[in-house]
Amino acid sequence: MNDYSTRRKSKAASRAGDDLTILRSLLLSPEQIDIAKLKERLDNPMIRADEISRVLAEAIVIRASKDKKLAQALLPTIEQTIKDSVRKDPKFMADAIFPVIGPALRKAISESIRAMVQSLNQTLSYAFSWQGLKWRLESLRTGKPFAEIVMLHTLIYRVEQIFLIHRETGLVLQHVATASAGVKDVDMVSGMLTAIQEFVRDSFDVKENQVLGSLNIGEFTIWVEHGSQAALAAVIQGNPPEDLRRILEEALEKIEFEQSQVLHSFDGDVTPFEASRYHLESCLLEVKSETKKSASKAVARKARRGKRGKEPGLIWWIIGAAIACLFIILAGIILSRAG
Amino acid sequence: MIKKKICMLGAFAVGKTSLVRRYAENLFSEKYQATIGVKVDKKVVTVEGQTVNLVLWDMAGNDVYHKIKTYYLRGASGYMLVVDKTRTNTLDAALEIHKVAQSVLGKVPCLMLLNKWDLEGKWDIAEATIDDLQHSGWEVIKTSAKTGLSVDLAFEMLAKKMIQMQK
Repeated sequence: MNDYSTRRKSKAASRAGDDLTILRSLLLSPEQIDIAKLKERLDNPMIRADEISRVLAEAIVIRASKDKKLAQALLPTIEQTIKDSVRKDPKFMADAIFPVIGPALRKAISESIRAMVQSLNQTLSYAFSWQGLKWRLESLRTGKPFAEIVMLHTLIYRVEQIFLIHRETGLVLQHVATASAGVKDVDMVSGMLTAIQEFVRDSFDVKENQVLGSLNIGEFTIWVEHGSQAALAAVIQGNPPEDLRRILEEALEKIEFEQSQVLHSFDGDVTPFEASRYHLESCLLEVKSETKKSASKAVARKARRGKRGKEPGLIWWIIGAAIACLFIILAGIILSRAG
Repeated sequence: MIKKKICMLGAFAVGKTSLVRRYAENLFSEKYQATIGVKVDKKVVTVEGQTVNLVLWDMAGNDVYHKIKTYYLRGASGYMLVVDKTRTNTLDAALEIHKVAQSVLGKVPCLMLLNKWDLEGKWDIAEATIDDLQHSGWEVIKTSAKTGLSVDLAFEMLAKKMIQMQK
């Protein structure tokens, strides 16, 4: 009897449980499916990876535009990857960077050969020419080094250094110099230039937009061009023409235009200003008096040709000399016969 | 590379130039030479794995008659307020200068250097005053340009603060 009642009770309970399951499935079926899907998404790493891959590129762009933490986080991994790659197969990396290194090397080699040939030409011309001898005598007479005498006679002007300076802080953003320039500490020079600018403004009653344009120290002239955020200071030897100011102005305008964002948010990191090196290097100009003389001679020759047509040329000189020789020989024969 | 401008501020003859000289060149001279206007120096340090080029603007001393030239401060990422431990009035001057510097630069990192710590018999500023300053939030560092006491430490602390602020 007891067994029977127990079996009946358990049967009723199981029916009630089934009913509850059916009711639950009827009421919560869509949610249960969603929960199962979410659980799978969370548990299955492949699904997660697939989802992240859909937004990864966009996420990188957004984060990179906000701060530098992404680059900082990736840096050790990238460095290690490059190291591993080089250790594993250096050829792969060499092939990858060859298109960049190749032309750069070729350019550097051809530049150094050109400079060497030019310097050899110059040395020969100064050593064996009449002018060279004159300059040597002048050097002996005045006690000045020969190189200085040569420079005094040949150089009109040379831009030796260019500083790109952040106006507010006085910090050097970029600096270029010729190989022969005596470069001191650029940060200190730039700081002092900025300080002098402020000192002058304070010491004399000048208006806000009036700025220090040039400084003369011995044989050096420093020209400063001011933009809205940056300034360009050129250290020049010799007598620069006014045209040079225009060149400096243009270079500064280009830099301020291209780097306006970086200049505006400058916080001490000067790395982005590597890109402005090209503009600065284009200002490292040099004009020698010989070049000027030969250029003016060429212009004068051209003008003469325009007026008188063609020049007599070497052939006429040879014909003239031959006729003269013939006359002398004939005169000699006549005289000897007469004698 | 990161470059940061630091200004050395304080009353006359508190040792600003000597501190910069000790830090940048590891040299010291007893001979006093007043700074006219400003003198710029430089030191390269490594802070938190980053190379930082500190450009040090050593400025002429200031007092009530010689007001601070605010245009020299522009663009500074931090500054040192130098006080002479043997002259209490240099502390008052430093606090006045601090107000001006804050108005120009806003809240940038700064440290107070109690210099000439080596002149023990001539100390004028009481320990209680120093404690008060520290309690009110000042970071006070005891330095001596003569012996080199905490000079490097002070500049490195300021550099670290500036880099942390940048991040």
